Amino acid sequence: MASSDGKPLPTPASAGAAGGTAPPGQPTTVASKVLDMGAAAMQSLRPVKQVKQHVCTLALYAHDPKRQVETHHYVSRLNQDFLQCAVYDSDRADARLIGVEYIVSRKIFESLPAEEQRLWHSHAHEIKSGLWTSPHVPTPLEKAELDHLATTFGKFWCTWQVDRGDRLPLGAPALMVSPQADPAATVRPDLVRKRDDRYGFSTEELRAARFDVEAPAEEHPGKADYWLRHRKGFAVDVVPHEMKRHAPFP
Amino acid sequence: MSSSDQNPAATPASGGPAEPAPPGRPTTVSSQVLDVGAQLVQALKPVRQMKQHACSFALYAYDLHRQMEVHHFVSRLNQDVLQCAVYDSDKPSARLIGTRRRRLFSAAPARRAVTKITVVMMAGVEYIVSDTIFEGLPPDEQRLWHSHAYEVKAGLWTDVGVPESLQSSEMASLAKTYSKFWCTWQVDRGDALPLGAPALMVSPHAAEPGRARGELVRGRDERYRIDSSAGGLKAARVEMDEPEWINPNADYWRLHRKGFAVDVVQAEMKRHAPFP
Repeated sequence: MASSDGKPLPTPASAGAAGGTAPPGQPTTVASKVLDMGAAAMQSLRPVKQVKQHVCTLALYAHDPKRQVETHHYVSRLNQDFLQCAVYDSDRADARLIGVEYIVSRKIFESLPAEEQRLWHSHAHEIKSGLWTSPHVPTPLEKAELDHLATTFGKFWCTWQVDRGDRLPLGAPALMVSPQADPAATVRPDLVRKRDDRYGFSTEELRAARFDVEAPAEEHPGKADYWLRHRKGFAVDVVPHEMKRHAPFP
Repeated sequence: MSSSDQNPAATPASGGPAEPAPPGRPTTVSSQVLDVGAQLVQALKPVRQMKQHACSFALYAYDLHRQMEVHHFVSRLNQDVLQCAVYDSDKPSARLIGTRRRRLFSAAPARRAVTKITVVMMAGVEYIVSDTIFEGLPPDEQRLWHSHAYEVKAGLWTDVGVPESLQSSEMASLAKTYSKFWCTWQVDRGDALPLGAPALMVSPHAAEPGRARGELVRGRDERYRIDSSAGGLKAARVEMDEPEWINPNADYWRLHRKGFAVDVVQAEMKRHAPFP
């Protein structure tokens, strides 16, 4: 089973079944809501509190860059060089958790072994082109952050392929890559327009405003954006493996 | 590259147990200012849906001796489907960030600076579905999922800090569910950064080789004041309904003695017909 598999067989979990795109299942009961409220009052829920920013951007599948999704990153900062994002398919309360992205500074990226670097993508184009946005955050506030982010690299695993209509998370995780200037990596205009209309901003205008965000001299250092150079994408395969054996304790 | 790869070659990213958190500089003031500012204007609705914190243990599908304590932050999509952001703990940890000498050629011993990390690392994603939904999945898909009955009844999976009386009906529902859990950061092997392919995880079971290690469970129980022993949660949950039947396609390793490993492979790019 591979992330590059075609559409899964029709089942209630895959596209086309009655009920639209929401996951199948009964509406949440009152009892469950009561538990949730009770739990929330007693638990610190630190990971919720440590998410400080919502970013809306677009991503492409590494094994098929013509498949593109609007993504909503909920970003936590671990330190100045490392961010982690819970990625959702919308910014609404019923958003589906579709993956995880980790973002590191260039210095950290360069310390990674070559084989690992191939799984990471650069962000300079995504930032400068106005695709990466923080809805409602005033431009002056985000300027310093954008300068820094333009020099970072991300690794993004998508665990729920909602763009092909999956009503449940099916199959293997898929590696995602970032939009680039290359025609093979250009985001479809209709996706951008839809996003812009919803938030009432213009990606074109953002691109113009970001003219002074410095693009790094070398946009694809090491093995970043591997697929661009080699025109081969990475697909994820899940295979049965002999279980590791461990020697018994003496 | 496979999720079943041995420890990656030593790099700053593959730290030992002394360096569990990612390398990097302390967060700057300007970043903090942005974070505060963003929070004031952004609703962050999806993350506010995480209303439950549950703690349990997970095993690597291809190597059941590698086991992790995991912290699930659960959002409910509907009564039958839950989604969890999974973290390596729920508390931040202190981390050594380097050595400092008072003066360059001073004979004074180096002083080590300790900085408090105030965030926890996201280690993966888990999806949980009811048995009804699980039965609707194709068999090939079901093999990637695991059951929860043992984990819940043994007191391994529990909501943290919530009295048993409040959570028992939720736990009873959970005992009948199935999950798919991708681990994206193998913190148990000391990775200071998320390396490699995602790993499929499975749940603990009663018999070896799938049993959760005693010292892991005891450590967790002490830290969270949980009693998962035979006299504690196990006793409290003894009356809990077991599922009448657990789908044999789940927990694939139990029947087949093979675990799923994840491989990242180069693929020819899909070709698309040009627009007419």
